This record gives sequence, structure tokens and C-alpha cells, in this order.
Amino acid sequence: MSELWEVLSEHLPEFSSGLWVTFRLVAISFVIAMAVGILIAALRVAPVRWLNRIGGIYVETFRNVPLLVLLIIAFSGLPRAGVPVSQWVAGTACLGLYTAAYIAEALRSGVFAVGRGQIEAALSLGLSYPRTMRRIILPQAFRTVIPALGSLVIAMIKNSAIVGGSLVALPDLLKQTREVQADTFQTNEVFFWAAVGYLILTLTATLAFRYLEHRYAIRR
Amino acid sequence: MTLAEVSKSFGDNLVLDRIDLEIDRGSAVVVAGPSGSGKSTMLRCINGLEAIDEGTIRFDGRAVHSTGREIYGIRAEIGMVFQQFNLFPHMTVLENITLAPLEVEHASKDEGRRRALRLLERVGIPEKADDSPADLSGGQQQRVAIARALAVEPKLMLFDEPTSALDPEMIREVLDVMRDLAREGMTMIVVTHEMGFAREVCDRIVFIDEGRIVEQGTPDEFFNQTRSDRAKEFVDKIIHH
Ligand SMILES: Nc1ncnc2c1ncn2[C@@H]1O[C@H](COP(=O)(O)OP(=O)(O)O)[C@@H](O)[C@H]1O
Ligand SMILES: [Mg+2]
Repeated sequence: MSELWEVLSEHLPEFSSGLWVTFRLVAISFVIAMAVGILIAALRVAPVRWLNRIGGIYVETFRNVPLLVLLIIAFSGLPRAGVPVSQWVAGTACLGLYTAAYIAEALRSGVFAVGRGQIEAALSLGLSYPRTMRRIILPQAFRTVIPALGSLVIAMIKNSAIVGGSLVALPDLLKQTREVQADTFQTNEVFFWAAVGYLILTLTATLAFRYLEHRYAIRR
Repeated sequence: MTLAEVSKSFGDNLVLDRIDLEIDRGSAVVVAGPSGSGKSTMLRCINGLEAIDEGTIRFDGRAVHSTGREIYGIRAEIGMVFQQFNLFPHMTVLENITLAPLEVEHASKDEGRRRALRLLERVGIPEKADDSPADLSGGQQQRVAIARALAVEPKLMLFDEPTSALDPEMIREVLDVMRDLAREGMTMIVVTHEMGFAREVCDRIVFIDEGRIVEQGTPDEFFNQTRSDRAKEFVDKIIHH
């Protein structure tokens, strides 16, 4: 028991810097994932066939290629093709673009859950289709997909470990934990604290999304 | 508002069959007919929510086509009230009403708010401005929907069975608001089975069956000298119901 606390107090700087890197990695990736996810969802629901198709190709590609393969392509393949990519760019772009595919799908289902009557009411007031999208459809779609977004953020926190565990080796919580483990050989103790670190992030996300869900619930 | 030879099909289901209809400024017209006869479709064609296959629809001298930017301007001049209210559940009552003034007319927030409160006053529920639509009764929701449609100062109001989804005790409050509107000279097309309202308020009743205008006339002509069998049957059923 005392060893557990010892490891933590001795290596707190590594653990906390790892946690902080993981947090930033997830935060930046989430911004990318939301921005790209909204764009792809808009393509998927646009009343133009070829736009739907582009959105569809994106979703199928990023959902069906493992994150680890994306990371290898970005961090190892691209530099070889003459495109230098930093650890952070590779990590956030891959995690963000990968998650964007899932966010796009969640939003798409949210958009289709908005009733025809809502759209007709907005159009009948003289709102253009893009404005109807922005003011009526998307806000309602977001509210209905808040729980799904919460699950995706939790998946993203866990998937972020792949960035630190892969050859990208961003000094995130997993990477730092491994280094502490290599120093101390106290495998059980150090990975216990890694698990606690991830739990702190996922539980915070769970609570935050629960609050959002409550705050923005649509009562009909 | 003029419809000339308007036809519309969904697949091979002919829903509107060469409809001719003229509505003068300031008049209130009730459209009646059995369910599935094409009444809703006609209203939706009038403000371009549905494209027509043949014929012309003109509003204030402009053609209503469901493509092109002009349709947005035309729709802003035509208010529509739906059977299911269709209030926006993620906005307050006030935001529902100010949406179009702010987004379409680019009115200032203050101006939008003033106008909305005036309209809520007019439909009798000024105290509900900051409530969520879900906290209102059906009758109150429909009155908000009317206020919302009025917020852009339309020249024509379309009502698609505005009281059909309401409990009997709330029908009155909505019909009262509509009657006041008609008295103030609003041009209105009202799809309804409320024949009391039709008799009392409207200038003309149009009876539609299977996508065709079978009969039209003043309320007095319609109820007392019904000519077609279909309309007779319909009047009998409604009056003895
Ligand atoms: N979007 C649609 N697609 C296919 N058929 C439709 C659609 N809307 C209405 N219809 C058909 O058109 C006919 C007339 O419908 P509607 O205009 O709603 O009648 P009413 O309002 O008089 O009850 C019905 O047979 C209905 O099934
Ligand atoms: Mg109908």
C-alpha cells in the first residue's frame, strides 16, 4: 500500500505532465473532430447527391481504417513522401479526423430526427434553407446527440492512449507511465495510477455531458 | 392570390386536379373537404413548400415557384399555421416569435421583442413570453404559432386545420383569435371542419374532393343550397356529428 503512494509522490511530475498532455491532445482533437464532423454531416444531409457521396466516402474511410494505421501513415508515411509532420500534428489530426467520422454519423442521425414540421415551419417564415439548418435543425440535432457525443468523447480519451503508445510517442499519460515503469519496474503500481488518471478524465467528461444533457434537454 | 389550373401528383396519385381559385385581398376563405382530398397539399403549394406540376400560382403579381431566391421573400409575406403547431422546442415562446423578424427582416433585438410582446398581447398570453413551448397548453401553443406567423406582418395567412389537434375546450380560444384577425381585414385561407366558424366568419367556402374544387359559395349558399352530392353528404355528416 505504501509503495503505491510512494510511486505517486516520487513521480508526480511525470504523471501530471502526462495527464496534461493527454488532456490537451483530447481537447484539440475534439475541436478538430467537431469542426470536421459538422462539415461532413452537412455534406451527408445536403440535398445534393455528389456531396452526400463525398461525406459517405469520408465516413467509411475513417471508420474502417484502424487509428493505429492512420497514425503510422501520418507520422511515418507522410515524412517519407516529403511532408514533415510533428508529433502533435500527427496525434491531433489522426485522433480528430478519426473521431470526426463518428461525430458526423451521430449528427446525421440527429438531423434526421428533426421533424419535417419543424423544417416547414421555419421555411414558411421565410428562412432560407441554410438558415433553417443553422437555427432550427442543427441546434435540435445537437441537443438530441449530446449523449452520443459524450460516449464519443470517452472513446476519444481512451483512444488517445494509442497516440502515446504508438511510434508517434507523444509524451501523454500512457507514454509517461511507461517511462516511470521502465525506471521503477513497479508495473502494477504505476499502471494503477495511469488507470486513475484516465478515470479522472472520463468521469469528468461523463459529468460534463450529463450536465449538458440536462441543461439543453428538449422537452416536447 | 390566384391559382390557375394547378395540378400536382405524388407519383401516380393525382392530388390536385386543375384547381382554379382566386382570393381577394381582405377576404377569408374556408376550405373544407374529406381527409386526403388535397387541402394540405394545396396550402403547401401556395407558399412554395411543395412544387406544382402544372398551372400557375400568383401572389401579389409574382409567380410562386418553389425554386429561386424570390420564394423566401414571398414566404415571408405568407404566414402559415399548422395542425401540429410546430413551435421550435429549443426556443422560448418569445424566441419563436422573434426568429423571423431577426433573421429575415434583420430587425433589432429591441424591435423584435416589442413586436413579439405586442403579438402575445393580441393572442391573449403576454405572460408566457419567457416560457418554453412545452409548458403551454395546446391552445396556448397554437396561439403562439399564430403570433409567430404574424410577426413578419404577412399579407396572407394560411391555416391548416389549426384546431384539429386541440381538446374541445381549447378550440374556442384559437378560433376567437382567428375571428379577430379576419375582422381586422387579414386575408386568410383556413382549412377547417369547424363549420360554426365558417358560417360566422368567412366570406366563402370552397369544398374540395379528390383534388378538385367541387363547389364554392358564400356560407349561406353552401349550407342551404348545397348542390353536389359529395358536399351534401359532407355537410350532413358534419352538422349531425
Ligand atoms: N409528401 C407526400 N408524398 C406522397 N403523397 C402525399 C404527400 N403528401 C400528401 N400525399 C397524399 O396526397 C393526398 C392528399 O393529402 P393532403 O393534401 O394531406 O390531404 P388533406 O389535407 O385534404 O387531408 C393523400 O392521398 C396523401 O396520401
Ligand atoms: Mg391535411
